[in-house]
Amino acid sequence: MYIIGENIHIISEKVKEALAARDREFFMDLAVKQVEAGAKAIDINLGPRKKDWAEVFPWIVETVEAVVDVPLSIDTTNVDGMEAALKTIKKAQPILNSTSAEPERLEKIPLLAKKYNAKVIALTMKTEGIPVEADARVNIAVEALIPRMMEVELPMENLIIDPLVLTCSGCQQYCPHLIETVRTLQFAWDPAPNISVGLSNVSNAVPNENRPLINRVYLAMLMGVGLQMMIANPFDQLQNDVIRWIETKDTSHPLAAVYNKIADRITAGEEPQMEDFNLSDSEQAAIWKTTQILLNKVIYADSYLMN
Amino acid sequence: MPIEIPKDKWTGSIRAVTIGATSAEGGTRTKTVTVGGQTTMPYLQYEAMPSGDEAPNKPVIAIEIKSRKPEDWSPLLADVWGEAMADPAQWAKKAEEAGADLLVLALTVEDTPEDAVRIVKSVLSATGLPLIVWGPGQAEKDNELLVPVSEATNGEKIVLGICEDKNYRTIVATAMANGHLVQARAPMDVNLSKQLNILVSDMGIPKDRILMDPTTGALGYGIEYGYSVMERLRLAALQGDAMTQLPMIVTPGFEAWKTKEAKVGEGVPEAWGDWKARAINWETLTAMSLVESGADIVVLRHPESVKRVKDAIEELVTV
Repeated sequence: MYIIGENIHIISEKVKEALAARDREFFMDLAVKQVEAGAKAIDINLGPRKKDWAEVFPWIVETVEAVVDVPLSIDTTNVDGMEAALKTIKKAQPILNSTSAEPERLEKIPLLAKKYNAKVIALTMKTEGIPVEADARVNIAVEALIPRMMEVELPMENLIIDPLVLTCSGCQQYCPHLIETVRTLQFAWDPAPNISVGLSNVSNAVPNENRPLINRVYLAMLMGVGLQMMIANPFDQLQNDVIRWIETKDTSHPLAAVYNKIADRITAGEEPQMEDFNLSDSEQAAIWKTTQILLNKVIYADSYLMN
Repeated sequence: MPIEIPKDKWTGSIRAVTIGATSAEGGTRTKTVTVGGQTTMPYLQYEAMPSGDEAPNKPVIAIEIKSRKPEDWSPLLADVWGEAMADPAQWAKKAEEAGADLLVLALTVEDTPEDAVRIVKSVLSATGLPLIVWGPGQAEKDNELLVPVSEATNGEKIVLGICEDKNYRTIVATAMANGHLVQARAPMDVNLSKQLNILVSDMGIPKDRILMDPTTGALGYGIEYGYSVMERLRLAALQGDAMTQLPMIVTPGFEAWKTKEAKVGEGVPEAWGDWKARAINWETLTAMSLVESGADIVVLRHPESVKRVKDAIEELVTV
């Protein structure tokens, strides 16, 4: 699993404070720790920085590249800021996060990727929004995103399609569709495009204590359909366990076996079954209930584990 | 060529809930009302019938009365209820005559706990219908009025409301202690409806003592959202989700009489036609849309709407 570490994100109060203070140590430390925890790239989302982009984007690139060698994912809607970052990057091939099928972004961002030999994350979203159905999202990739990359002659290996994870709290019907989108996208083109998702979006607006469980169960499902890249928190140890168990087919203890079973069921186009779980074990019972939420079988509620 | 009509098979069913207790059951009601019990989507009785199941309980109509004469209600409602609006016991009798299956008595912020108890008791004496009592809708005041009302009517199996996520514990606790039911309202959202049902039932109140109120809008004012939420809750219930298997109560009277179309008789386009006819149509159509999406109790305000909705329900349940 190629994890793009998500922790340098302006939504975090600590990141906000550190940025205001231009605290180089803070960002260096956070970058190094993510790489040590297994991140293969570092996402940098400091917002659009409409006023100080010309100073902030080069500053953060220079700060982080002083201590790590991995690719940086420049996560912003500010195209000027993105280019300022690209001009500063000296080490690994950067990732642009992101374009979508909205005309203005699809016009500009691939050109930047071409000019600076960057990879680009492309969201399966149009101006009208995000379609629920798997087919409609695949169509956006095949009819808009991929043709544009060919038009600017960006090699397919530089394209990363993000089919957009939405939260089970409020957008529950999207969760099973996304799984099928990831499955289908791999057959949508030859060579198969790279696919990445923002995993923790699946638990947005969910009470904090339930978020890691929902993320892990969804991860097992997505690995079942072949997901190999995601933007995620590399410090989540249990999540990293799930990745290792599924990648190595480790079923040596009950939880590892359960997560592998979920992935196997999804691989086979099946749904996890009650008999796959030892429901007298509270942890496994919670995982079973979570599969039912994520497959939109049972209506989500914040206290769904009590149901 | 014979056509076979496809039938859905469901694993779940809506819980049957009984409101009101007769003297044999520890109360003073002359009749009780049972709602819920359905095993199909609304009015698809034929899907369940061949297995020998009995016809499901049909939707019922509650008429809303208030503890004090409401100053903000439409003059059309004042015309039809007349002097009775100033006397809850009288109003209750007239509502029974108008065909109500049960009553909603809405208390107001001006009521003291003593007023509330006295008025609830006067309504219980005036009619034998089962009763739903709403607080004024402010958390503290609701609790201040509903607790003494609940204690003074121990065993009557009245419905206490309205529980919302910010204020449900006190109401549920007093309902449990005195053998009553509760109405649990969430703001037009399946996830929040289910969440509140979980929280309420987690306090230990039996699930056959909870009515869920998914909230709705009036015709032309978001009713389609309410309709979809109710439909989805009903589907989930039939698929076996225990926390959505509760009968639904909705308030089309309150919603419809808020709309300009029902409320205002002057300064509107002539093409809107006769005010009274329009207002009653608005309430009736709002109510019937909700009945079609699975409402078990509709709370109405105008006697003519009551009559029309009652007739329409009879037609719907006739196989």
